[in-house]
Amino acid sequence: MPNWIPNLPEQVRRLALLVVVVVIAFLIVRPMLIPAGFGEQGHFRSGALNDAVAHDYKYAGKASCEECHDDMTSMLASGYHNNLSCEVCHGPLAGHVEEPEEVQPEFPRGRNFCPVCHEYLSARPTGFPQIVSQSHNQLKACINCHEPHDPVPSEVPEKCSACHGKIARSKAVSHHANVECDFCHSVNEGHKTSPREFRAAKPIDRNFCGQCHADSENGSDAPQIDLSSHEPRYVCWQCHYPHLPEAK
Amino acid sequence: MDELIQHLYPLLKSVTGYIYPNEIELHWGLLVSLYPYLTGLVAGAFILASLVKVFNVKELQPTYRLSMLTALAFLIVAPLPLLLHLGHPEKSYEIFLTPNTNSAMAMFGFVYAWYLMAVLLLELWFDYRKDMVIIAKSSRGLKKWFYKILSLFSKDISDKSVAFDHKAVRIITIIGIPSAFLLHGYVGFIFGSIKANPWWSSVLMPIVFLFSAIVSGIAMVLLLYMVITPIRKQQLDMICLDKLASYLFYIMIVDFSLEVLDFIHRVYESEESIKILASMVQTKLFGSLVIIQVIMGMILPLATIAGVKIFKVPADLRKLLYFMSAILVQIGIFSTRWNVVVGGQLFSKSFMGLTTYKMTFFGLEGLLISITLLIMPFFILWILMKILPPGGSETQEAAIQVPSP
Ligand code: HEC
Ligand code: HEC
Ligand code: HEC
Ligand code: HEC
Ligand code: HEC
Ligand code: HEC
Ligand code: HEC
Ligand code: HEC
Repeated sequence: MPNWIPNLPEQVRRLALLVVVVVIAFLIVRPMLIPAGFGEQGHFRSGALNDAVAHDYKYAGKASCEECHDDMTSMLASGYHNNLSCEVCHGPLAGHVEEPEEVQPEFPRGRNFCPVCHEYLSARPTGFPQIVSQSHNQLKACINCHEPHDPVPSEVPEKCSACHGKIARSKAVSHHANVECDFCHSVNEGHKTSPREFRAAKPIDRNFCGQCHADSENGSDAPQIDLSSHEPRYVCWQCHYPHLPEAK
Repeated sequence: MDELIQHLYPLLKSVTGYIYPNEIELHWGLLVSLYPYLTGLVAGAFILASLVKVFNVKELQPTYRLSMLTALAFLIVAPLPLLLHLGHPEKSYEIFLTPNTNSAMAMFGFVYAWYLMAVLLLELWFDYRKDMVIIAKSSRGLKKWFYKILSLFSKDISDKSVAFDHKAVRIITIIGIPSAFLLHGYVGFIFGSIKANPWWSSVLMPIVFLFSAIVSGIAMVLLLYMVITPIRKQQLDMICLDKLASYLFYIMIVDFSLEVLDFIHRVYESEESIKILASMVQTKLFGSLVIIQVIMGMILPLATIAGVKIFKVPADLRKLLYFMSAILVQIGIFSTRWNVVVGGQLFSKSFMGLTTYKMTFFGLEGLLISITLLIMPFFILWILMKILPPGGSETQEAAIQVPSP
């Protein structure tokens, strides 16, 4: 024993012993505790991949329903909900595909289900069908009026605002409030029932806005600019939002 | 699935503006806000204790051991909210076995272990060693063995050896101060270094966290001192209490100035996020930030203590005012943590909308668990004070005869 060790204060020797014991114990135990396969493929346990693969399937996918419910799958395929999976509404059904009698699907018949996708939210893309559930035909279940597998508005909406609520609301308070939608967009009636088949047209060039805004004797009370010098390299809506032109 | 719908439906209605689809659900909730609150108390209580040892603030001597034990009790509970928040708490020890040095969060294990083992336990051990030896000598049976093991069978309580203990405590405290800074600065760092989140990303974050930690630690020790001393049938030391309140006051001023600095800096810098942050503060965080954190948790206690300092307030009223202020400070600091953690997730990264947080009562992330976690440290403190009485071996009932050295 080197002779400085006995010279250390008693308590330090005891602590040092404890530390040495703990460190040695850690070094012995560590290799045993590191999960097998750690570090083989990266900073993780390689077996974790197999564990993930081994999880039970919960969802079967739309294709697997066709075998027994082809009426429903074809109905769904022809309607607005064609991109939806059956199981987004009926819950995970891998078990049902194996044993149809044993595992029963869910039926979301309540009024609070459909709004998860359809409640009005400015985050949703324009044109996405949205309602404000508090004012949309309260007290009746949605499926009373809309067949969930082929939902259609039970009547053709008259106003553009039924589907483009956000645009309509901002235009209504803008300096363009008095310019009608169809002045700028020519819309086929079919757009109101199948908006993707019948697309609405949009203005394509600067002259369009020039009708009212360009320096000429057009008699419009709109503020005037000179088309040839006012930012000629861009179309107007790169800078002015047409539904709220005063926005900077 | 029904549960999911029940959960999402009301949330949808309180979303305002534009948010991305994955932002409706907050991933860090009550439990995660609890964690910086608890570590803050640890760091604060420790720094208070170090005032006594390193800076020789004699007036605070009565609270030294109490602060150390408080720090330990809270440190034991501090990682629990994180563990409960993890999907697999039973695997958490693996971060020690296979350290990932690239992950600040993974390194927390080491910061924690260092603080617990190298600082708190060691300092307490040296500080209590003499008492433990004396108790071990004067008791019998299981208790004797318990204290023998705790003191690592050490026997030497000569003056020289006890003097060494004192020196060791001092050195550990000196190492401990940067460690305490590290422990809580680290928590601020975790938030401050998240570049993508303008509410968090700020170099001031670790420092603001640290000072609010000290504030909360001092206030907690003040509260505990005022509650425990009468229970132990002792007299409150008014000089000590006044000193505690003064320190609380000064540190709060620093903390408040830092927060104001951070605020001015943000407003002046006026990055593209400023509008949404402003509207968040005016709506969703108005109650918890403006009312609770700033007015109730900061301005009111500051004004109260300032009042006590200016006017000659009789001792009994002073006690009451200190007590009330310390409670307000606790509530205020908790909501500071809440506003950082939850606030950082309430606004959309598109800067165009706000989502909302729905607290649950039951469940791992619920209110019930959080309340339990908040009560636990006090329970642990109670046990610790039984084992390691702050009054030293004299107050241990069993230690009848203290052999004179
Ligand atoms: C192997 C054939 C089979 C497959 C595949 C299958 N089902 Fe079924 N399904 C049945 C049978 C049989 C019943 C009637 C069970 C009963 O009455 O208890 C049924 C019942 C249902 C019902 C309830 C009808 C009612 O009136 O109560 C729903 C909803 C349903 N299936 C949805 C699905 C979906 C969604 C899938 C695809 C994930 C699917 N099924 C796949 C055979 C199948
Ligand atoms: C938008 C949600 C939604 C989707 C998507 C959906 N369902 Fe349904 N489904 C419902 C609801 C709601 C009912 C209950 C209707 C009722 O009670 O009138 C139902 C009822 C059923 C029924 C039994 C009632 C009936 O009309 O015969 C079957 C079978 C069924 N669905 C199968 C399917 C299959 C197969 C798919 C996928 C191809 C699918 N569903 C997709 C919501 C949905
Ligand atoms: C998972 C999301 C989702 C759920 C749940 C859902 N829908 Fe839909 N819904 C859609 C999508 C996507 C469209 C097609 C939108 C489009 O074509 O732009 C749509 C279209 C519609 C339309 C057509 C609107 C129009 O423009 O004519 C109606 C009506 C409708 N859904 C009603 C319902 C009802 C009723 C339910 C509840 C049984 C429901 N939806 C549940 C996603 C959903
Ligand atoms: C009393 C019948 C009735 C009930 C109940 C009903 N709707 Fe409708 N829904 C309609 C009619 C009619 C329209 C046509 C548009 C309009 O007039 O607003 C429509 C339109 C829609 C649209 C299309 C809006 C658009 O912008 O394209 C959606 C989506 C929709 N409903 C969803 C629902 C949901 C979800 C529920 C349940 C919360 C529901 N509806 C309940 C009758 C009903
Ligand atoms: C039934 C609901 C509905 C009604 C009513 C409706 N639209 Fe649309 N509209 C849509 C949908 C859905 C889209 C999105 C199509 C897409 O993005 O593929 C769309 C897209 C548009 C577009 C953009 C087209 C493009 O190519 O970008 C314009 C412009 C438009 N609508 C104008 C109108 C006007 C003007 C009216 C009123 C006369 C109107 N819409 C009424 C559903 C509707
Ligand atoms: C002053 C002319 C003008 C009027 C009035 C107008 N729009 Fe537009 N709208 C445009 C132009 C220009 C664009 C193309 C903007 C672009 O491509 O960025 C457009 C784009 C759109 C689009 C597709 C892009 C988007 O923002 O989603 C929709 C949908 C649309 N308009 C709907 C409407 C509806 C509904 C109304 C009536 C409430 C309306 N517009 C009134 C000029 C107009
Ligand atoms: C039918 C005539 C008409 C057309 C077409 C039209 N505008 Fe306007 N616009 C007006 C009128 C009228 C005003 C002024 C309204 C007011 O001052 O109350 C106006 C105002 C504006 C303003 C000034 C807003 C402000 O700050 O006060 C801008 C910018 C503008 N329009 C841009 C456009 C663009 C871009 C287009 C093409 C997409 C367009 N306008 C097409 C009639 C029109
Ligand atoms: C590169 C961006 C840009 C483009 C492209 C552009 N503008 Fe402008 N426009 C501006 C700016 C900037 C102003 C000045 C706004 C101000 O001073 O308040 C302005 C002003 C105007 C005003 C006058 C508003 C007022 O209050 O007097 C009108 C009208 C206008 N623009 C219409 C148009 C039209 C029509 C087009 C397309 C032919 C167009 N702009 C293209 C940027 C643009």
